[in-house]
Amino acid sequence: MPRVELANVNKTFVTRDREVQALQPTDLTVEAQEFVALVGPSGCGKSTILNMIAGLLQPSGGVVRYDGAPVEGVNRQVGYMTQKDTLLPWRSAADNIRISLELKCRAVPRRASDARVAQMIDLVGLGGFERHYPAELSGGMRKRVALARTLIYEPETLLMDEPFGALDAQLKLLMLDQLQELTQQRRMTVVFVTHDLGEAITLADRVVVFSARPGRIRAIRPVNMPRPRDVFRIRFTEEFAHLHEALWDELKDEVARGTDV
Amino acid sequence: MVSRMKRQFDPILLWQIAVGVLLLGGWELVGWLSGGVWTSRPTLIAAKLAQWFQGSIYINIATTLTEVITGLLLGSAAGVLAGLVLGRSPVAAGIMRPIIVAFYSIPLVALAPLFIMFFGLDMLPKIVLTTIVVFFLLFFNTFAGATSVDDDLIAQVELMGSTGVEKFRKVVAPACMVWIIGGIRTALPYALVAATTGEMLAARRGLGFLLSDAASQFDMTSLYSALFILMLLGLAVAEAANWGERYLLRWRHAAG
Repeated sequence: MPRVELANVNKTFVTRDREVQALQPTDLTVEAQEFVALVGPSGCGKSTILNMIAGLLQPSGGVVRYDGAPVEGVNRQVGYMTQKDTLLPWRSAADNIRISLELKCRAVPRRASDARVAQMIDLVGLGGFERHYPAELSGGMRKRVALARTLIYEPETLLMDEPFGALDAQLKLLMLDQLQELTQQRRMTVVFVTHDLGEAITLADRVVVFSARPGRIRAIRPVNMPRPRDVFRIRFTEEFAHLHEALWDELKDEVARGTDV
Repeated sequence: MVSRMKRQFDPILLWQIAVGVLLLGGWELVGWLSGGVWTSRPTLIAAKLAQWFQGSIYINIATTLTEVITGLLLGSAAGVLAGLVLGRSPVAAGIMRPIIVAFYSIPLVALAPLFIMFFGLDMLPKIVLTTIVVFFLLFFNTFAGATSVDDDLIAQVELMGSTGVEKFRKVVAPACMVWIIGGIRTALPYALVAATTGEMLAARRGLGFLLSDAASQFDMTSLYSALFILMLLGLAVAEAANWGERYLLRWRHAAG
């Protein structure tokens, strides 16, 4: 049974005076422990798909299943790192990262949670900023806090919406490496939305290319390189270059069409 | 956010003192020239204050403060609770909000005579009046806050598996804190107005009682003295609010 399954799922948003179709009827499955990257131009419905898997949006047609059961209401099996960092502004970085451990469903004792928070802070390279409030952090730092907050409670499935967009190139590679290690170690399933083809190829088992709005799947390419991969060197390999070229061929017309959105 | 200027010794302060001295001096002069029947004089007021602070004033200040503080606590608690619940429950809000708005349309101090008849001459009617005034201000503020909480923040903790209560405690309530603090700041002077108005109508103690008692005897010096104490009380209450806000909303001031 696939972990996530979209069967004939489509989504139309109704705004004040018109209807906008964000996603054409789409089929997609994600197996347990698979890492799937979704790429495509802005407004092609990638984020909409994540929202529907998370149960925050209902599809206009079709059905989203998680472990075989239709997703109705908020899906608590997933951790969702949204594009907008949804940090709580009144909590320090450390307390934002900690919040999931405070909830009754986990109720991690304070001392144990302190240790895990410190570990996560270290992982995302935010040592020294534990007590800073989100307003005092840069965009990239806030992204890393949000990443740490999502990873710390080790959800079965990770949904990530351009998590590393605001990071500089060096830091991005470091983060990709950490993410790869952690998700493999914890056997997480990941659905990862990105603009960056290189990022997608580096991390994913499969790359799904979407067309411009209204989105539909244009191509699905497996990445036939064993994981874990060397995120620092993989971009210099031949397979990487081939795949990048093939995917870019699929993507470039769509990006051109998508830019006027 | 405007960062507060470090208060150094600056010419503004000198000017402020100069203007203050000029005003008091002018008042003294007018009082002295006119015999001071209606205006009294700062020196007489100072003497009266000194005499009051020998003993008789404390019970009156304590009475008014007790009414204000009790009313603030009860009214804030009820107003915040009602605002949070109705703000997050559209059905309950649909039923209750028009009723609350209707009640709020009554000029609230006009209820004072009613409460005095119900609850007698002591502190209780003033506490009830203050509570009601504070309740409405806190209710409307908290309600506005609760309806404007960012749904994405709530979705995050729901995905993490929060219970309904946790959603409230961890997100909705702290997100409303800015609005609640704003409500309390607005409510403070109104609480003082409500308590003193109640006392002026019928009371045996309190600053409002001193005021109306002095007025009924044409004792202008006592009247101005009572006003002066009320002014100090108002300033103290506002300063306490500033201090509390800086502490509770320190995450907002952090960015500077």
